[in-house]
Amino acid sequence: MSLSAGSVSDGIPDRLLASPTRAGILSASMADVLAFTDVSFSYRGDWLNRIRSLDTVSFAVPAGAAYGFLGANGAGKSTSIKLTVGLLAGQRGEIRLFGQPVGDERLRARVGYLPEQPYFYENLQVHEYLAYLGKLSGLRGPALRTAVDRVSELLDLAELARRKLGSFSKGMRQRFGLAQAIIHQPDLLVLDEPFSGLDPLWRARFKEVMAAERKRGATLFFSTHILSDVEDLCDHYAVIDHGKVLEQGRLDTLIGAAPLALTARGARPEGAEDLGDGTWRLLFPDSERGARLAALTASGAEILRLERKHIALEDYFVARVRAFHAAGRPMEATP
Amino acid sequence: MILIIAGATCREALRSRSFLGLLALYCLGIGLARVVGWISPASDDVTTNLVLSLQSIVGVLVAVATGTALVHTEIKQRTLYTVLSRPLARWRFVVGKYLGLAAALVVGQGVMLGLGLTWLGATGAPLHSALVVAGLLTALEVLVMAAVALCWTALTSPLLAAALGLATYALGHAVATLPGMLPYLQGWRMTVAAAGASLIPNLGRFAYRNDAVHQVPLPPAELASAIAYGLLWIALLVTITVAVYRKKQL
Repeated sequence: MSLSAGSVSDGIPDRLLASPTRAGILSASMADVLAFTDVSFSYRGDWLNRIRSLDTVSFAVPAGAAYGFLGANGAGKSTSIKLTVGLLAGQRGEIRLFGQPVGDERLRARVGYLPEQPYFYENLQVHEYLAYLGKLSGLRGPALRTAVDRVSELLDLAELARRKLGSFSKGMRQRFGLAQAIIHQPDLLVLDEPFSGLDPLWRARFKEVMAAERKRGATLFFSTHILSDVEDLCDHYAVIDHGKVLEQGRLDTLIGAAPLALTARGARPEGAEDLGDGTWRLLFPDSERGARLAALTASGAEILRLERKHIALEDYFVARVRAFHAAGRPMEATP
Repeated sequence: MILIIAGATCREALRSRSFLGLLALYCLGIGLARVVGWISPASDDVTTNLVLSLQSIVGVLVAVATGTALVHTEIKQRTLYTVLSRPLARWRFVVGKYLGLAAALVVGQGVMLGLGLTWLGATGAPLHSALVVAGLLTALEVLVMAAVALCWTALTSPLLAAALGLATYALGHAVATLPGMLPYLQGWRMTVAAAGASLIPNLGRFAYRNDAVHQVPLPPAELASAIAYGLLWIALLVTITVAVYRKKQL
């Protein structure tokens, strides 16, 4: 189940939370912050060969959403993200960022980006590097200093302010990466495998920071192949494999599509599973709830428990991708 | 934006070990230049010439080494991802990177010139203003070579770019002798030689070192012309680099 933004961000002191200023107001007025429409992209290979990375990819990230972009390694997640933030160009199809064609670099003032396995200049110190990237995002003077202090404290970088990035471990670089991504309070936060290289404590802190950013009004769009991260944070998801979006939609719709599990004792109906202690369990879709309950009550069964069966996203994802591979074609998108 | 990029690039370059290492090499070199001077008939002139030439050689080595790595390393190590994902056009990034490197090279050239002149003064060699002019023109030559290295890297691999950069340095000085050779060429050969030479920066225009040692004055018009020539080549090479990187997949 996805957690609410408030519940996750409760671990962060209020003074470190940015106020929901322009970000929330601007985002709220637009339907989709990011939209891919039939986007195909190929990398240049050797000589005239081209390596297709995306094949007519379409998806939309609504304003204010937390959107999980799921896929195995090499599925096309990073390519989609690089096209979004302007590191790649030359795609077919249309990418719109805040309703505008993605090519205009000024739009990127409203985007924060954490690359996969980020690397930084080795000889710059933490505080001057943050100031440098903050300036490139348009921050100046006291606002810049405040922003540097805020994100440094938020990600425990304040004590490392004079350290050069070259001496950082992978996890520390990841923390710096998130700090630079949120320093200018972006409207859209694009994170490529944000939890890579983090220990459990920092994974939890990252989730708190991401939830706090969302609470401020930012839209989250992040790629991952760790499905529990999507379950914890997201309300929307898309599954991509071999450059094709297999399906996308709301996570609660997916969870809502899980069958109901009824445990009872007494006359066992057809299809029920005997649990061995005189009770049995019957699975049926939510749409049959009224009819099933009426029939069981009429038959004299004693209903002990009715709950929704938990869908393990991990199992669901593996099953969908395997089905896609077996069919040799993309599946239809769910609403 | 360009100045922000340039500032960070300059800081990063000045703190790199290779930069400091080559400065140490220069210090060692000017020490040895004095030794070579002692065993030469015109001791002071030879030492002065060697000290100025070392500034050029070490400067060009730094320019080629850092110029070829400047943008390529950023692509390879992906350090430019967090920069180019901000509201920054690629041409500003490339120009900023070049200006940052140029600033670091100017600092390096200034330090080398200062150390060289101090060393010459301390060892009793005559000092005069022509040596400073020669040092400044050498700095401009180094800036042109940095642009050459940057441009070659945009067109090919860094290793090949470094080799081509050093080849350009050698050819650039060879081109300086071409005007004297042209009368010996006939017809189309003269045209081809002149056209070929125009594709390579004539680094001889910045080589005032030998004349400076002998205090041969450099007319102001010639100095201004050399500066304009160098700046034009830098502009052309950086423009080519920008055009290549504008469409590059990262």
